[in-house]
Amino acid sequence: MFKSVIQRAGPISIRRMATAAVEKQALVKTFQIYRWNPDTPEVKPTLQEYKVDINQCGPMILDAILKIKNEQDATLTFRRSCREGICGSCAMNINGTNTLACLCRIDRDVSKDTKIYPLPHMYIVRDLVPDLTLFYKQYKSIEPWLQRKDVPADGRENLQTIEDRHKLDGLYECILCACCSTSCPSYWWNQQEYLGPAVLMQAFRWMIDSRDEAGDKRRSFLENGMSLYRCHTIMNCSRTCPKGLNPGQAIANIKKSMAF
Amino acid sequence: MLALRRQVGTNLCMRSIMIRPALRTVPMMFTQVRNVSYERLNAEQVQDKLVSQRKNRPLSPELAIYKPQITWILSGLHRLTGIALGGTFYIWMLAYAAGLPVSTTALAGAFGALPVVVKIAAKFILATPFTFHAFNGVRHLIWDMVKLVNNKGVITSGQVVLGLTVVSSAILAFL
Amino acid sequence: MLAVSRLALRSSVRPALRSVVASPVMISRRGLFEGYGLPQPPGNIVGTVNDAVPTPAPDAVHGSYHWTFERLVAVSLVPLTVLPVATGTLSPAVDALFGGLLIAHCITGFQSCITDYIPTRKFPRGHIFCNWLLYIGSAGALYGVYKIETEEEGISGAVKKIWNA
Repeated sequence: MFKSVIQRAGPISIRRMATAAVEKQALVKTFQIYRWNPDTPEVKPTLQEYKVDINQCGPMILDAILKIKNEQDATLTFRRSCREGICGSCAMNINGTNTLACLCRIDRDVSKDTKIYPLPHMYIVRDLVPDLTLFYKQYKSIEPWLQRKDVPADGRENLQTIEDRHKLDGLYECILCACCSTSCPSYWWNQQEYLGPAVLMQAFRWMIDSRDEAGDKRRSFLENGMSLYRCHTIMNCSRTCPKGLNPGQAIANIKKSMAF
Repeated sequence: MLALRRQVGTNLCMRSIMIRPALRTVPMMFTQVRNVSYERLNAEQVQDKLVSQRKNRPLSPELAIYKPQITWILSGLHRLTGIALGGTFYIWMLAYAAGLPVSTTALAGAFGALPVVVKIAAKFILATPFTFHAFNGVRHLIWDMVKLVNNKGVITSGQVVLGLTVVSSAILAFL
Repeated sequence: MLAVSRLALRSSVRPALRSVVASPVMISRRGLFEGYGLPQPPGNIVGTVNDAVPTPAPDAVHGSYHWTFERLVAVSLVPLTVLPVATGTLSPAVDALFGGLLIAHCITGFQSCITDYIPTRKFPRGHIFCNWLLYIGSAGALYGVYKIETEEEGISGAVKKIWNA
């Protein structure tokens, strides 16, 4: 049916019906990205410049680095998955602060370069990919699972009041992206012994969960000079959290609960 | 157990495809050809390979690239002023204990002999770290009571501390 | 054929802006405090990827008791600092208390710096040496406070005199 309409309408009318596309001027932004190749480990890490037309690119930094990888340099390496700020893979240091590349908008002021570094003071596997092994080992050490001596009375659910569930808000949403821990100067200098804000906030998440009965054990894990008490309330963690969480407050709560 | 495969260099893939043409479902021109063969490693060899990879890895920069923010700048200043004040106090007390000429009269005499402008400048330089450390210390104690421990609280209290520092050290300098 | 189709695909994409060759901004592969002291395990990782980091034995003396002591000293110092600035010198007893608390505050402060920047895992002997230097220095300073209380008008008196000179 449509074929006859089109044939009768002629070749130009389809164009006339469509909205005319506006040709955008090229707006070229310079990105300086940290590069290091494990295949040539003797070559020191460098900053490589890339120019991207951000009018032909999505709004987020992740869009820009994907565009660079697709069109300019396929060897640029970084982690990414959900592109919506929930998986925590694309955590990196953009213009000096740790955040998720998929949630960080490109600054449209092209007179300034955007500098992209991997998460600070981490061993680098390649380009923007840090080694998070120690971070995960630290998370495992706080035993992040429900611990009880017995099963619930009805044998089905561990019941919890609405008020008790509300205490977990702001704690359970952590996506373990490691932005906060790698923004903490204490974690920079002592990451082998200090657990870092992300892991400590999760320790607190289990401490105040009313269904958990291992609070004393959890506090005993932190009862030493280094695991918790290297925190000097610098508060870089809460400042940088891309999910708007507050690890600094969680740590302050742990210290208060352990002191009195 | 993780079986890590290491490239050695013989053309196994091609051979396996060529030997059994009946099993080929995809024309060869669309298959990926790799000139490799594989070697199984046991768990210990895998661990050794991981460790050797880790030895080469660089550390990403931190102080050089992190954006100066009121959070860690004021915290760093708190520590610096603390060390400076504590160090000065210790040196003075140790010198006093050792019997060096740092008695009150001696110091007052030396200080009094300086020109007024230098005295006021010196008082300002001495008072500023002291007032900053004192006010920021109170800010830390407020945080330990789990009050104002959020982004807004940290930034606002930081600005208040800086303002109080400047004002109070100016007052003290002219006292 | 595959090579030809790959070429065709690339030319259909909007011509990308080629990157400038790596600007040689060398970044030190060594952190600020790295490379000093005992060599650390590669990547700071001990054991396999599936092992949790070891949890130290509970030690409240260096844990929560130390933290509480630190805060108590700091809180006590607040009124003792405000008083002389606001009202003049302190009585000898209160001034002695002020001097003692100030030294306790300095000890906890300096110890915090030593633990952060000269940790045992990197500088096992340096850590112990610095701690002892701190204790001996503090003992000397405490004696100095005693002297200044007995011979002069105390710390607040001394500061007031120098300030008004």
